[in-house]
Amino acid sequence: MSLPRDISPGTAARRSLLADLLLAVALALLAFKLAAGIGVVAFLALLTTAVLLLWIGVEAAVRRVIRRGKTRRTRRQRRPSASSLRP
Amino acid sequence: MPPARSERRYVPIPLWRRARRIFLLAAVACLIPAGVSYVSAMGEKHNVGLGVSSVEWMRQHGGNSLVSQIENWYYTLTAPEKGGPPLRSLPQVGLGAAGEEGQEQSASYQPPNLKPLIRPALPGEGVWKKAAAHAGPRPPVLLATFRSDPEYPQFVAGVAWIDSSRTQLAYVPGLAEPPPPLSHRGPAEVPAPQRKHVVATFNGGFPLETSNAGLIYRGKVKEAMVNGVATVVEYRDGRVDVIRWHQGPGAPANVWFAKQNLPAIIDEGHLNPHLSDGPEWGETVNNAVRVWRSGIGVDSHGNLLYAAANFQTVESLAKILKRAGAVRALELDINEDWTSFITYRHPGARDPSNLLPEMFRPADRYLTPDERDFFAVYLRAGEKW
Repeated sequence: MSLPRDISPGTAARRSLLADLLLAVALALLAFKLAAGIGVVAFLALLTTAVLLLWIGVEAAVRRVIRRGKTRRTRRQRRPSASSLRP
Repeated sequence: MPPARSERRYVPIPLWRRARRIFLLAAVACLIPAGVSYVSAMGEKHNVGLGVSSVEWMRQHGGNSLVSQIENWYYTLTAPEKGGPPLRSLPQVGLGAAGEEGQEQSASYQPPNLKPLIRPALPGEGVWKKAAAHAGPRPPVLLATFRSDPEYPQFVAGVAWIDSSRTQLAYVPGLAEPPPPLSHRGPAEVPAPQRKHVVATFNGGFPLETSNAGLIYRGKVKEAMVNGVATVVEYRDGRVDVIRWHQGPGAPANVWFAKQNLPAIIDEGHLNPHLSDGPEWGETVNNAVRVWRSGIGVDSHGNLLYAAANFQTVESLAKILKRAGAVRALELDINEDWTSFITYRHPGARDPSNLLPEMFRPADRYLTPDERDFFAVYLRAGEKW
């Protein structure tokens, strides 16, 4: 049995998220199996979460700044200049 | 005009972003069970701060070497510098010099004063003082302070001498240490009926998790004893000793309690030649790191000696105990959170006082339930204040 290929972008995104989630759970189980204890796992997981959230946050902030700059530039280009409005 | 839904195509996420998402989800998945364990542990009864409890939780859940490594970095970075302005006085300990009570000197043994290491000596340096008021000509506990390291003239060591002929040592389990199951755990504080006899209490050594050593409590093995490890032992006849254990994993019939902690730091009058780091010292802060340390030993007359000071290495602690007269000794707890020696100046555990004023934990530490196990020193039956 194969998964349907002709799917909407939303379904494809959800499918990808599910696959990632399963991989993440497998990774977590492996971490618990290999680590000396739950304390070490917690410490490393906390560090990983903090670093990744910081990374995502910075990335989002940079993207927003760039987008805002672009929008401002586009608006400035679209706005007619004062001289062109003169009769 | 935006494309129709059927015409829109799924744009796959870049691989690195998917990898990041997977790691983030995995980290969150790890944090859920860890969080449940942590929150339930923090919900239990504690008498230490959240930070210390969190570190203890880490240690108990496989993070011991990680915590020790972080502590090593921290203490190395914050290591004290040699020298500094000389001290002008020592902290006040005890209540007047031993044998000062207007009574004739007792014929029983009293330890000689400690010879100061740094000249000129400060007033009262190395002089034994009574720990309790109206203790008579044979005070059960004597206290002394002295500067123990000429290279660090600002550090003051505190030493206590405990008369084994007048006192009895008791091992008191804490709330969490030794870990369950343990029968006869008790109240984790100086029991109310015993308070009229208590003269001193002090910290009980590394948790079993980190000492990798044994414990016999009330004549029964809680954790298998390890040969070669230094041991505080009390026999059923009330005698106390610090020995190197050679009696196998079980509990000998004549032993009431025995608590092990690391290799001996003094053995038969000599410093352990291997006081620098090695695997035999377990996963703890490096021996050369200067931190609060404490230790217990016995003198040649079988009396107990306790020492504690800040900024000590294992070797400098051993030297303090040796100077105080110890012929056998072991290291007890380290770090400011666990090092306590408390004397009670009046019967009924009244007027408790820390051996050194800069000791971090309050003097009433063992009059309320404590996390960790400790030792209590009681006057023997028939002995009076």
